[in-house]
Amino acid sequence: MAVAFDTRHARAIVWAQWRSLRNRLPRSNKGALAFSILVGVLWYGMFLAMAAAVAGVFADSADFPTTRRALPAAFLVCFLYWQIVPLLLASKGSSIDLRKLLAYPIRPSEFFALDVLLRLTIASEVLIVLGGAFTGLLLNPSLRWWAPFALVPYVLFNMFFAVGIHDLIERLVARRGIREIIALLFIVAIALPQLLVMKASRDHFHRVSELASWIGWPWRATADLAGGQPSAQALVLLLAWTLSAFIFARWQFARTMQFDPAEAGASPRLKRGASRLDWFYRAPGMLFRDPLGILVEKELRTLVRSPRFRLVFAMGFSFGLIIWWPVAFGHSRNTHSFLGDNYVTVVSLYAVMLLSEVLFWNVFGFDRAAAQLYFVAPLKPETILKGKNLAASFFVALEVTMAVGVCALLRLPIALRGILEAYAVTTVVTLLMLSIGNLTSVYSPRAVDPTKSFRTSRSGRVQALMLVIYPVAALPLFLAYGARYAFDSEVAFFGVLALAAVFSGVFYRISMETAVGMAESRKESILEVLSRGQEPIES
Amino acid sequence: MDASPAIRISQLRKVFGAKAAVDGLDIEVPRGSFFGFLGPNGAGKTTTIRMLMGLAPPTSGTIELLGLAMPEQAVEIKQRIGLVPDESLLFDHLTGAEYLEFVGRLYSLTRAVSRERARELLGLFELDSAGSKLIGEYSKGMRKRVAMAAALIHRPELFLLDEPFEGVDAVGARLMKELLQDLVRNGATVFLTSHVLEVVERLCDQVAIIHDGKLVLNGSISELRAGSETLEDLFVRVVGASAVREHLDWL
Repeated sequence: MAVAFDTRHARAIVWAQWRSLRNRLPRSNKGALAFSILVGVLWYGMFLAMAAAVAGVFADSADFPTTRRALPAAFLVCFLYWQIVPLLLASKGSSIDLRKLLAYPIRPSEFFALDVLLRLTIASEVLIVLGGAFTGLLLNPSLRWWAPFALVPYVLFNMFFAVGIHDLIERLVARRGIREIIALLFIVAIALPQLLVMKASRDHFHRVSELASWIGWPWRATADLAGGQPSAQALVLLLAWTLSAFIFARWQFARTMQFDPAEAGASPRLKRGASRLDWFYRAPGMLFRDPLGILVEKELRTLVRSPRFRLVFAMGFSFGLIIWWPVAFGHSRNTHSFLGDNYVTVVSLYAVMLLSEVLFWNVFGFDRAAAQLYFVAPLKPETILKGKNLAASFFVALEVTMAVGVCALLRLPIALRGILEAYAVTTVVTLLMLSIGNLTSVYSPRAVDPTKSFRTSRSGRVQALMLVIYPVAALPLFLAYGARYAFDSEVAFFGVLALAAVFSGVFYRISMETAVGMAESRKESILEVLSRGQEPIES
Repeated sequence: MDASPAIRISQLRKVFGAKAAVDGLDIEVPRGSFFGFLGPNGAGKTTTIRMLMGLAPPTSGTIELLGLAMPEQAVEIKQRIGLVPDESLLFDHLTGAEYLEFVGRLYSLTRAVSRERARELLGLFELDSAGSKLIGEYSKGMRKRVAMAAALIHRPELFLLDEPFEGVDAVGARLMKELLQDLVRNGATVFLTSHVLEVVERLCDQVAIIHDGKLVLNGSISELRAGSETLEDLFVRVVGASAVREHLDWL
């Protein structure tokens, strides 16, 4: 495939994106906009401060021999953050809306170049820190002028690798029936090295550490060159890695261009009669009177059929267990640690965090086709929100149960107290999140495509949101665990948790009333926002 | 002038899971013709048109547009066709004028030419006053009009139109019909799907009817009709829509 890149189309797409953003801003919810700007400033400010610190350390020629030894590990961390954090959050960053733009005479090579550039949005934090590293290396008087430029091919390597990986995963998860299994296998494969490193003995750890700083890795080659060592071998290796990543990315991108998600997502068999899960969907009808019963039933059906929900739900009790295992148990199951003692609770909270985007923050945006019906049907907004909240609570409880079940199957050291604690803690957190989520859902709705397994919003923005909301939701937990630590008493712990549950219940009631009032007054703007399509670049 | 047909579809097949949405379709559309592609809901019309537009790859079979092979020469083909798909290619956060300029630039027109043609097309489709409104705020008919305007901006030779008149008011529909007839008179080819059979009957020289993914009829309307039969009668006869309507007591 030719790599000739005519920039006219790219410029037109970027121009249209810019105009869309400019048109959208005056019509945006001012409060939500201010909040987004605030969390953005906080989040990226943190990385700018980190970049400044890195620049200071890298510019210091006196201590540079020590810094040089840490360079391979530092660049490895950059690679892992760039490639793995998006997977942890099931996010792929901004991407071109191929479904629409494919209709126009744009060469695949142009789409590819744009997609590669958009991979920068998934890891802008790494770029900021690498910018600091570049500045520091440039200012270091003991280094040759070319040393910082070793970071350029390393950034390219990461961009190409990210394109290849994300295209591969996106196609795999579009395949009906096997998407969750494949996505999980892939993610587990990525998490496995961490698991092995953490479970290994000190000797094994040394060996793995040596393996990670093997001369053939791209981060090691980058470190050698950036550290001022004029090594032809390192240069050749780094360029070879970059070229391989480029070929991998082109190959995967070409396959994505020929891929039809509708074909891959089609049912492999013809439908015969009712679904096997029909009894499950119809269960709410036995517990609640209509319209609440049918609303919960509809939520269960919609969520179970949504690839995005299925992916994050499956990740919660599988991937969550794996990534927290080494941190919790370290080298031995007998060693006590806070995370080890509260393993199921930690895994459950991680699962709730993953589910929050689908179940709490934007309930109408995730279900925008039905939003219109909700507002024209003779339904009270409170009933609609209750229906959504009940379905969300059910799935959170199911997620915790699945996590407990898998722990039991794996014979992990968890006690009955730990299981009760997991349910109690997630109940309080879920109640708080539902309260906040009901408000955000009506105050700042956003149209989301539930058929996409990976979200396009930047991981940084999600993390920034976590920085603000999750600490608030976790406050009662800090108090409860603080009480347990201070009084060395389970009664104190569960007592504080019970108080927190009461407080959360009151907060839920108040937030529900506020959300209902807002839903009534903002009905028109909610529907307008939800009916809008996307931009040339989905972000 | 090139002697190859505007569209040549051979043994085209598209399978979703266990179901063939399009099953061995063979169609030839001569250049300069007004071709109606008909079928009941779910017959495979939109899937076919999506494959023609290069938005979905076929499972098997070949597609040639304007003598060029799709998808091998997709970019060259797309440069010469105008599209109004059923699903919107519109971007809701752009104004009508911005969208047309954007599309013009995607077809490699210069910024100045795109802007000028966008202004003229907005005037032609009576959207001048709505040109600075966001497309997200347009009515359904206005969206179809701006989509039609976008299909014209680069002066294509072949039009692939999926339900172009859906939601458009009588004035707008008449304007679009007259415009398309003029284009055909000047040598362009129109391939359109529509459920408004009166419109198809009035505009099209030839029709093809597809049912359950298979071609059931193909030819000129006058040849296909039996006696005083209308296109609607012919359509109902061919697709077998003779189910007896049951009365619902509660209704």
